[in-house]
Amino acid sequence: MPQYSMPPQQQQYSGNPYMNYAPSAAPVAPVAPAKQEKPPMTLEEFTKQQAAAKPKPVAKAPMKLKAGGSGVSIKIGSGKSKSVSIGGTKSAAKPATLSATSETETSQTAQTSAPTATDASSQSSTPVDSKPPTPVNNAPAKSQTTDSPAESAAEVVNADQVVTQQAADVDEALLEELYNEKDHLSIIFMGHVDAGKSTMGGNILLQTGAVDKRTMEKYQKEAKDSGNESWWLSWALDTDKDERDKGKTVEVGRAPFETEKRRYTILDAPGHKAYVPNMIAGAAQADIGILVISARRGEYETGFERGGQTREHAMLAKSQGIDRLVIAVNKMDDITVEWSKERYDECTTKLLNFLKSLGYNKSTDITCMPVSAQTGYGLLERVPTDVCPWYNGPCLLEFLDNVSLTDRKLRGPFMMPISERRRDIGTIVEGKVESGVAKKGDSLLVMPNKVQVELLTIYSETEAEINNAACGEQVKLRIKGIEEEDVQIGFVLCSLANPVHTVTKFEAQISFIDLKSIITAGYSCMMHVHTAIEEVVFAELLHKLEPSTGRKSKKPPQFAKQGMRVIAVLQTTQNVCLEPFSEHKQLGRFTLRDQGMTIAIGKVTKLL
Amino acid sequence: MAGQDNEAEKNIEIWKIKKLIKSLEAARGNGTSMISLILPPKSQISQAARMLADEYGTASNIKSRVNRLSVLGAITSTQQRLKLYNKVPPNGLVVYCGEIITDEGKERKINIDFEPFKPINTSLYLCDNKFHTEALSELLESDAKFGFIVMDGNGALFGTLSGNTREILTKFTVDLPKKHGRGGQSSVRFARLREEKRHNYVRKVAEVATQCFITADKVNVAGLVLAGSADFKNELNGSDLFDPRLQSKVMKIVDVSYGGENGFNQAIELSAETLSNVKFIQEKKLILSYFDQIAQDTGRFCYGVEDTLKALDLGACETIIVYESLDVMRYVLKNSAGEEVVINCTKEQAAADNRAIFQDKDTGSEMEMVSEQSLLEWLAEHYKDYGAQLEFVTDKSSEGAQFVRGFGGIGALLRYKVNFEQLVDESDDEYFDD
Repeated sequence: MPQYSMPPQQQQYSGNPYMNYAPSAAPVAPVAPAKQEKPPMTLEEFTKQQAAAKPKPVAKAPMKLKAGGSGVSIKIGSGKSKSVSIGGTKSAAKPATLSATSETETSQTAQTSAPTATDASSQSSTPVDSKPPTPVNNAPAKSQTTDSPAESAAEVVNADQVVTQQAADVDEALLEELYNEKDHLSIIFMGHVDAGKSTMGGNILLQTGAVDKRTMEKYQKEAKDSGNESWWLSWALDTDKDERDKGKTVEVGRAPFETEKRRYTILDAPGHKAYVPNMIAGAAQADIGILVISARRGEYETGFERGGQTREHAMLAKSQGIDRLVIAVNKMDDITVEWSKERYDECTTKLLNFLKSLGYNKSTDITCMPVSAQTGYGLLERVPTDVCPWYNGPCLLEFLDNVSLTDRKLRGPFMMPISERRRDIGTIVEGKVESGVAKKGDSLLVMPNKVQVELLTIYSETEAEINNAACGEQVKLRIKGIEEEDVQIGFVLCSLANPVHTVTKFEAQISFIDLKSIITAGYSCMMHVHTAIEEVVFAELLHKLEPSTGRKSKKPPQFAKQGMRVIAVLQTTQNVCLEPFSEHKQLGRFTLRDQGMTIAIGKVTKLL
Repeated sequence: MAGQDNEAEKNIEIWKIKKLIKSLEAARGNGTSMISLILPPKSQISQAARMLADEYGTASNIKSRVNRLSVLGAITSTQQRLKLYNKVPPNGLVVYCGEIITDEGKERKINIDFEPFKPINTSLYLCDNKFHTEALSELLESDAKFGFIVMDGNGALFGTLSGNTREILTKFTVDLPKKHGRGGQSSVRFARLREEKRHNYVRKVAEVATQCFITADKVNVAGLVLAGSADFKNELNGSDLFDPRLQSKVMKIVDVSYGGENGFNQAIELSAETLSNVKFIQEKKLILSYFDQIAQDTGRFCYGVEDTLKALDLGACETIIVYESLDVMRYVLKNSAGEEVVINCTKEQAAADNRAIFQDKDTGSEMEMVSEQSLLEWLAEHYKDYGAQLEFVTDKSSEGAQFVRGFGGIGALLRYKVNFEQLVDESDDEYFDD
């Protein structure tokens, strides 16, 4: 289990004191009631004060929480005395008053109950400013009920050690809490029309038992009746009548399944050109992309040529932050292919070169494998050697089970772009948590319309109720305080203390990939950023970047054409939730599309 | 070629009338002394003259002296104007006469008579405190109008395209349940609800379409284009709820990837072939061809007032493209040595710097103003002298908007490559060192 030594961004978030921000709060709630007799109310106050007292070392907040939670009232008193002194000097007016109010009651109790303890605490709290760990060192008291001054003094000495130890402790607990279940991974199937994306997804669902046999048999029969027998597998994901009639996915299909190692969410993107916007929204939620390409003669070629979706999807995946790709060469069983190695190599080499040009690393980011979605070879089990003697790599799920996950930002402020919303006894929003953790009962903010909501229930992908929504998870949240009509796709649900930025104007670095002619200021197109789709206008072109060195030009370019990289000011009509790319990648990168084509990708450099 | 020239000339004519209408609309006069007279083709001058004579008689009875005098004056000048014609020109005749109050509060007499660029089918005589230009505006708009319905899963947009104006009539959003909006067991019910909502949406679109495109039981557009992502557009087209009168007008069904305005733009683009004779499309094409020159870096293009005029002087301009409301003025000045100096700048620029630009660089004294004219007018009058063609564009299309914002609203396609000093100068290190 990886340790979470506090990431640097931690500090900048810690400034806002009157909310104990999500990640720190998360572990407390489940732990507290079990361990101690204090009402959780004081606990919260305590954390607030801690936060108020020391803006800098907030990363340690969880520990303190724990200390407070387990400790006796005396300790809380001690913590308080410190917070007062600092609150006055350092933090803003609001936090000060907040801590002051809560303090009065508790400190009184503390004083009356144990004068000796206050003594000890005051001792420990003297080196306050320089030493954040002081309150923490009271924390070890969690195990004991009686606390001698000598002991605490001794602890002051090796406070730092304690801190680190404690950090490890808490993180362990936090992670245990969060990862009590298996790891979660979202995968998206992409590729040209009729490459077999839905079929592959369907077959995986069937083989892992996520869809029961009987349903699939029913589909098989129905598909046969409708005259398109080979479509039945895809019906597990293509649930619409229209989609089934035409055998063409329109909206991103979605289904969970589970292996022994991990939980997965399948996102099945539409391959058709007209539905690329849907695909982008899907890609924004995925961790790993599976680029399905058809090895069948002719199909591969159309998918790959200019305007084909194999290209476009790969590019969009990269621009939406999918850094790992699996190339599944599908239809290897087709009569024009017959598991031929030559064909497989032909398909992959060309594609690999293209992917390299997009910035994927051939050896670390990309894995190729031959599969047959219809027959199921290469999905759950390796392809039998008698069928395909030349490939002995892992099959798809084997690979996915073992792929290492990127570090998740559990410590950041909570952020979740909303990918869907609906009404179902209250307002339900869905999405992938991009950073932080939220727990049941948290107060959150819907941006950009700044509505405060309460998180009532958290459902996992499988509709099971869970306690935490942690970074990386696909969750459905029931929230209170906002009507469903007031939430739109592309809004962001975020922590109250550190809301996401909303802007209508921002500076961005943009590289143009596919432009028919040129564009100038005044050009308008559609922008995809996380799950949002917005119309943007180029307000101004500021600089162009020299191709080789990336230096900025002194003069603003009059126009931009294909292949150019520019810095430009973009303007939207509505408020959009954005973060600079340097601070939050997922909310800082975007794709520009116009006339049914992806024309450019970019990242936000500055919010204006 | 001759046809093309005529076309271009017509466009300039249109632009002139547009400008005229603008100035006439803004004009306000004393009392009801402003006469608008429109004679359709094949009417008789003498009849109109007699009518005016009668009016003159009636107007002599006006009690208020000021009003009487000004009305009589206006009628007299109208009569004078009519005398210039011995018969009504083939496209009819338009006369505006009256005294208007200028910005400075002075009175100025305006007498305008012209033959419109195409037959005007209105007969009008009005004495009012303003000029009546509705008939002329109509003349400009009488191009065929096309309706657009853009619908996707998020909402619908209704718009029209006519001449070079693109208009959004109305739009609304809907909230359709997504594919996996269902929660488990009652999936059949959810599927049914979804179907119902989609059906209702189609119904609503059909109803709004009827409101938008049918007035007085008649279809008010020449053709309809249905656009949208997914299957809604086809569903609408095949639906019984869609008015059959509209259905018969559907010219084209196109696939667009977005709804809203972007979808509208794309729909126009995609139906360009069908609508090829619409001004809007021609304008787009023109600017696109200009952009293509730039993209290919042929050097046979220029932009900005300076370069364009330089190219014009060289006789290199093949087609000049100008934004129809470009606010650049052309000032002709005379310096102390008696040489003429031409300065082109916007009015704001002229006003700023305390008219510093009008000062002679050498002597510092203010130069004498010979003439002051909008650059557009000057171009419209003189473009032929340079063997160029003049095209006016709007900023209504996305290309037009870019042209105006990115290139300052003026540019030209050149016959051959011209090296402008300004382009050559700093190619050494145009990048910052960091």
